[in-house]
Amino acid sequence: MKIIDVKGLEKSYGNLQVLKGLDFETNAGEIIGVIGMNGAGKSTFLEILMTIKDYDRGDVTIFGHNLKGISMDQLISLRKDISVVLQPTQFYKSLKVEELLRLFKAYYQSDIEIGQIIDDFQLEQHRKSFFEKLSGGWKQKVSLAIAFLSEPKLIILDEPTTGLDPHMRNVLWSYIVDYNQKKGGTVILTTHYMDEIELYCDKVMLIDNGVNKIFEKTEDILSLGYRSINDFYLSKV
Amino acid sequence: MLATQLKYDLIMFSRELFYLIFSIIVPPVTYIFMGQLFGEDTYAGGLSYVEMYTPSFIILITFSVVFFAFGFDQVMNRSTGVEKRIGISPVPQRTILLSGIIKSIIITSFGFVLIHAIGMVVYNLTFNPITFLVSYGFFILLNAVLLVISSAVYSLFRDLKSALIFSILIFQVVMFTGDFSLPVAQMPTFIQVIANINPMYHVNHLFIDVWNSQLIFNNDTWTSIGVIMLVFVAALIVIRWNRRKV
Repeated sequence: MKIIDVKGLEKSYGNLQVLKGLDFETNAGEIIGVIGMNGAGKSTFLEILMTIKDYDRGDVTIFGHNLKGISMDQLISLRKDISVVLQPTQFYKSLKVEELLRLFKAYYQSDIEIGQIIDDFQLEQHRKSFFEKLSGGWKQKVSLAIAFLSEPKLIILDEPTTGLDPHMRNVLWSYIVDYNQKKGGTVILTTHYMDEIELYCDKVMLIDNGVNKIFEKTEDILSLGYRSINDFYLSKV
Repeated sequence: MLATQLKYDLIMFSRELFYLIFSIIVPPVTYIFMGQLFGEDTYAGGLSYVEMYTPSFIILITFSVVFFAFGFDQVMNRSTGVEKRIGISPVPQRTILLSGIIKSIIITSFGFVLIHAIGMVVYNLTFNPITFLVSYGFFILLNAVLLVISSAVYSLFRDLKSALIFSILIFQVVMFTGDFSLPVAQMPTFIQVIANINPMYHVNHLFIDVWNSQLIFNNDTWTSIGVIMLVFVAALIVIRWNRRKV
């Protein structure tokens, strides 16, 4: 089932055109990695999918709703099925982890018990910690817990593992893969770690000069003779 | 959802030392301290210290809460990315805004009662229920006006550092040109000129008049209403213009 359909997406900041006619689509349950150099437009693209950034031209359809002309009530309803992890993720600094979970549970009107989320993400030792006092890895773990709190159909991750040690990266990915397999949720993420793309992503989209230069299955790219996605990436940018 | 947001907004306020010091601690302490120094003086209109400065310090608390815990807090959330993260959540913006407004009204009302109670205990302020209720009603109206002005002013800031410098600066300007410390009438002419274009000076004087049942619609009152309305309308234009930019 197609959940996102993007055609001819264009976006400019003043005279600088960042997206120049980008096409994209994804089906339920896919994990898609979006790669490209710094400033290629990855974050702009993701923020448009997050429904927080307007665009100039093109069509963006999410869960069957075209974002152009969508009402605020429809948008709020749409956002219930979308969750995000930003880089860097920031929440109210003077709230504790458990309080943040309760607040976002109210936002998403989620039925999930806070205790269950704390158990699932092994947050017990930090449930009374202030978010701002956590290390980068724990902050991302809490961000993921908050993102999964709503059992979203789509989760968008903007460089979720940047700056984390290999152990914490592995921990976060185990949650993402688990969510994808058990709930059938769709994951779209950007990352600069090509090993993550190779290990976990079903498809790769390379954004270059404002368009999707490549949008293929990861295995199809590797079957072309590249030793790794990293080699593929370096040969294309 | 509104109740949950309001609960956590109030918890966050209680944990922010910066807000607590400037809104709940400094004004009452200054009110008591100045009373010890100038408690026997008589002020414009034949008012005593307690008649002049009880309403003044209630307005000072209101200013601190509305400009720091409401306005500055918005810049902090904007600059740290919290606003963006909340914006992606399925929570209507009006819920967040309404919670911020109710939070401010609760805290400023607490300030209203606190200063009043200090006045009664320390300076023998008499409690008149009718005056109290009329003053509170007018106080809520001023709260609404100041919330709009604060929202407009802080919508111009994206950077926390410049917002902080601005906040500290306007606190000083308001303290000295709003008639909250030494009487403006005793200050140099240029301070009096600044005071006349400072909306907080006019808010303060209108509230002192209402508090003491001395409000008469003379030139001074119309000037005060005019300055406040001018700034209020400008604030509405700024808010509307900023919305259009998004």
